[in-house]
Amino acid sequence: MVRALWPFALLLALAALLPLSGNEYWALIATRAAIYWILVAGLNLIVGYAGQLAIGYVALLTIGAYTASVLTAGTVMAPIGAFPALGIAAVAGAFFGVIVGLPALRLRTFYFAMTTLGFATIVTQITLAWQDVTGGGIGIPGPALPAPMDTAWGLYWFCLAVAVVCTWATANIAHSRFGRALVAIRDTEVAAEAAGIDKPRMLVLVFILAGALAAFAGGLFASLQTYITPDAFTFELSLLFFIAVLIGGRGSILGPLLGTILLTLLPEIAAPLAAWSTFLYAALLLVIVLAIPGGIAALLDRRNRLALPENRDIRPDAAALEPLIGQRGAPETMALRGIVLAFGGVRAIDGVDLDVRQGEVHGLIGPNGSGKTTTLNVISGYYKPEAGSMTIGAAALPPGAPEGRAARGIARTYQTPRLIGEASVLQNVMIGASISGTATFVESLLSLPRHMADERRMKAQARLALAAVGLSALAEVRADRLQHSELRFMEIARALMLKPGFLLLDEPAAGLSVEEIKRLGALIKSVSRQGTGVLLVEHHADLIFDICDQVTVLNLGKVLAAGTPAEIRVHKEVVSAYLGG
Amino acid sequence: MLASILASGLAVGAVYALIGITYNTMYSTSRVMSFTAGQLGMLGGVFGSLFMLRLGLPWPVALVLTLTACALLGVVTEFVAVRPVLKSLDQHLYVLSTLAVALLIQNLTALQWSTEPQPFPRLLEMGSGIWDEKYWLPVGACVVTIVGLEYLYRHTLVGRAFVAIAEDNFAARALGLPERNLRIASYALAGAVGALAGFAGGQLLLAFFANGPLLNFYGFIPVALGGLGNNRGAVIGGILLGLFQQAANFTVGGIFSSVAVFTLFIIVLLLRPQGMFGAPVARRV
Amino acid sequence: MTITRRGLVQASAGLAAASSLAAPALAQSEPIKIGWLAALTGPSSAPAVGFNRGVVYAAEALNAAGGVKGRKVEIITRDTQGDPTKAVNATQEMISQLKVHAIWGPTNSGESLAVTAIMARGKMPNIHPCVVDSLIDTTRYPNAFRIAPSNAQWDDAVRGYTLNIAKAKKVAVFGDTTGYGVSAANASAAALAKDGAEVVVKANIDATQPDMTPDMLRARNAGAQAIVIWSVSTGMIARLLNTRATMGWDVPFIGHPSLASGEIGTLIDKPANWEKVYAIGYKSCSYDAAGKLPPRNEELLAKLQGKVNLQDTLLWWVACGIDAVNLVAKAVETGGSSSSESIIKTWNALKDYPGYFGDYSYTPTDHNGFPVSDIVMSAASTGKNGTFALAPGYG
Repeated sequence: MVRALWPFALLLALAALLPLSGNEYWALIATRAAIYWILVAGLNLIVGYAGQLAIGYVALLTIGAYTASVLTAGTVMAPIGAFPALGIAAVAGAFFGVIVGLPALRLRTFYFAMTTLGFATIVTQITLAWQDVTGGGIGIPGPALPAPMDTAWGLYWFCLAVAVVCTWATANIAHSRFGRALVAIRDTEVAAEAAGIDKPRMLVLVFILAGALAAFAGGLFASLQTYITPDAFTFELSLLFFIAVLIGGRGSILGPLLGTILLTLLPEIAAPLAAWSTFLYAALLLVIVLAIPGGIAALLDRRNRLALPENRDIRPDAAALEPLIGQRGAPETMALRGIVLAFGGVRAIDGVDLDVRQGEVHGLIGPNGSGKTTTLNVISGYYKPEAGSMTIGAAALPPGAPEGRAARGIARTYQTPRLIGEASVLQNVMIGASISGTATFVESLLSLPRHMADERRMKAQARLALAAVGLSALAEVRADRLQHSELRFMEIARALMLKPGFLLLDEPAAGLSVEEIKRLGALIKSVSRQGTGVLLVEHHADLIFDICDQVTVLNLGKVLAAGTPAEIRVHKEVVSAYLGG
Repeated sequence: MLASILASGLAVGAVYALIGITYNTMYSTSRVMSFTAGQLGMLGGVFGSLFMLRLGLPWPVALVLTLTACALLGVVTEFVAVRPVLKSLDQHLYVLSTLAVALLIQNLTALQWSTEPQPFPRLLEMGSGIWDEKYWLPVGACVVTIVGLEYLYRHTLVGRAFVAIAEDNFAARALGLPERNLRIASYALAGAVGALAGFAGGQLLLAFFANGPLLNFYGFIPVALGGLGNNRGAVIGGILLGLFQQAANFTVGGIFSSVAVFTLFIIVLLLRPQGMFGAPVARRV
Repeated sequence: MTITRRGLVQASAGLAAASSLAAPALAQSEPIKIGWLAALTGPSSAPAVGFNRGVVYAAEALNAAGGVKGRKVEIITRDTQGDPTKAVNATQEMISQLKVHAIWGPTNSGESLAVTAIMARGKMPNIHPCVVDSLIDTTRYPNAFRIAPSNAQWDDAVRGYTLNIAKAKKVAVFGDTTGYGVSAANASAAALAKDGAEVVVKANIDATQPDMTPDMLRARNAGAQAIVIWSVSTGMIARLLNTRATMGWDVPFIGHPSLASGEIGTLIDKPANWEKVYAIGYKSCSYDAAGKLPPRNEELLAKLQGKVNLQDTLLWWVACGIDAVNLVAKAVETGGSSSSESIIKTWNALKDYPGYFGDYSYTPTDHNGFPVSDIVMSAASTGKNGTFALAPGYG
């Protein structure tokens, strides 16, 4: 943690030394960088964390700048002070932040990017046309802050202070369950849903925060400019914000901060070339992206360039399961009755009945295309069956609604591991505990005690889960550096974070060595003995017959046979159709 | 009045559609939305004017030279701004790299050409009023392009390879298709299509360095409306956009027409998130 | 070596002391630094490109003649691209970093609105050619001087010509969709209505609109007898003129100096399309029936011959750029110092300074130095070396 903080401390020290220069030009550029960063800090959560391409964020800067300016100039009502005006601008920004962001809930990548650009155009045109209020093309004076913020250095200190607070607050979010949830939405929406992460709610929360920050930055921008006209809010400015996050690197606070400083400085370095300055600026941009394609964050992340040990072993430790999961009370049964699901006329599952009891391992086998994974997806809520019912104990399990499964104690893994490559293994595992968080967004933003307690608890649990699956040594490593087999165990650790009542495993042994399969089997068995019902889809017959208490065989979407492994082993049709004996 | 709105709406719509096809052509082989699309359109006008008015070449020669120059530029873009960022596509760094190239092109044009719009000559000296060649040339170019592309994609080996790459990059590579060469070829093709848009629309848009961002903007809308990668969708989207924009220009004036265009754009997208002709996304699990 | 905070303070204090001690000695030989905020590559950069030719010429001419009291003139140019943000940065750089003695520009109103207050705070002597009326305010911006007409003066000239000479009672007002186009069209329409004209159409046209027929038809159907134009977009103006010709309509176009820009000549379908177009012009840059400019500018033309290209720009832009540099030089020469107080004091006392663009006079309470009577309307199509013939109707 201390090591992660020194670059910020260094930047702050440089910023604090700057006034000694007495050069107001540097004050202006540094103030500008601080103001841009206040906006980018919020935008970073949207672009760098949640992966939403909000390319037209100048719209919110404009809204903030005009709200603050109009209120202090008094063109609609009696003029008010600069600080109340900045506050109201932030509120307006929060509101419009949600409006601008809402399409993200329905649209993907470029489509969303273009709608944000559309908003930017609309806002600019309205400021141009609404002359009585905004001054139209003639513009309007920006809010003048009271002493001591009315000098270049006074404004600098104020903006620097706000920027520091924003850095701290957005870093708090980034390192909370909210930040991890955003990254999960970006990289693996499916796993995020299974972990119970409510995408619309998460996105709306960051849109509110980012909108408020951007509009507040807009008010300060107007103050710095002293006078604003619609031509100040250019597409280039909007791109600057967006690019700062891109060259900074995803999922980082420091990277985009350095990116913002760099992009504010570059044009100034190029300025003496006069007419050729933009040309040089563009050339430098190209050089930057070619030289550090991973972004500044990857450049700074030296630790993850160190080689990992070659011969590392996955050694699950069942002893960690007890403190992690605890013991369950009376076992319940998840029951599927007459489930039917067709894709374009083909019945992928056709009247499947299945009973998974807690405390047991239930194997689900069958040839390719027999409907095993589809059954898991129906239980997980990714597919809505056309007929049939699902219950856990006496309670019905509603069809669809994947994000509600975590709350019902259903966790799962996937055929291809779903991971956040750039996050550490520990963070990946912590995703699994998302719904256990108790701190609100604001508590996390301000790092209040409940947030700290949440983080401590989740971290301790994640370490237990990693110990249980045997990956303790790799906790701090970037997940995309792991081997395939390690990722399978990491997914199980993530699923265990939920203390699941039911654990659905989709071919967890695929790609594992014989030795690893043996350890996996032992782990699965131990998990079930903690009172978890395990539904295991697998092709390795040995594993199934070794550890399962019950086995269901599917063929062409129908149940071919069901019973204990001993019964299945001698079942005629199964033997001839599937086991090939 | 209506005739004039129709004529200019169809004409600019055809230019937007061609820029949309430029985007699509680059996207299909690389999954990159390149900011250079609009600049290629701008250069189509500027090169055309340069070759015909400043160098005095006849228009067919100028057309060939313009298309070649922009095709080359497309290839350069692929090398400089696309290939290096393909590895980390999900970081969207291509926004940055293609934008940098677009800025370089635009600034160089401003400095070496002019910052004021320059004339673009009449090519065929045909038609007047709403039948003036400046209105139907872009439409003609759009028809020729779409027919040519359909022929290419359906009846030639290279075209089929394009389609294969566009549909499934990994599978195509597994089949042994020369993915890299096809990508270079598609950038050259996109350069030519963009240049054709600017050349055919030169009399309407003039040879003006600032046309690039404008075409980027309005050329993307047909892509979004028609569905990424769907050229026929882009043409229909482009024509509709052109007609709507020109009608709005007239009915609500220049300021509110862009508000109207973008409001409608956002509403349409929200109703049809995959564009009007895009297929719904496949299941994710 | 370790840098301590105290060490830095001492170091910078030492630097400050050194520079202030050295100041008097340096002032005698140090170049006169003029900051030049030019929108050289933005979308409306034609004026700045013209000004720039004058600036470069004037600085070379002064230096070739030995400078001002032995001091060279140094022009420090920053390309603002018409972006207020870039202009603000460049202005502060000139004040705090480059320590220029005076600033010429910026050249677009949007930028000027943003930087004027900053220059006031830095007490930086500033001459600019921006037309927005509120930019000149001797109490708020005591250091800002205008070298060109204000928009109100332009508007007066256009309105006077429209109502009194063209005798139009029904007028259509067109602006583009930029900040300037919108505000100028609004102001112009309001003033026309106040003076008794009927504004039958007021529209802001997107400069990139490929076909202007609908707007022109609307104006004709409303019975417009004159069309007043407020735009710097030559492409848009040329399209309007071509449309007028296609419609077979002979309504006069009256308005912004850009109507006479040489670019339009290349963009119109045929030369006749440029007839009956009257742009704001200046006596100093208008030739008489014999084709002669006022003597001072005939002389200038001869000097510029072969050195400055006038074919694709306007003489008044070049002349204005020359005058701006000369005004700074003059102030340093007369006042004997390049301190900002001295420059401002000298300008405040300036009476009938004979520039190439106009005769400028400033007083402490009026910084609109350009003589209103010098504004005339010129016939747009008569351009020759960036100069024009007077519009018909002048005595």
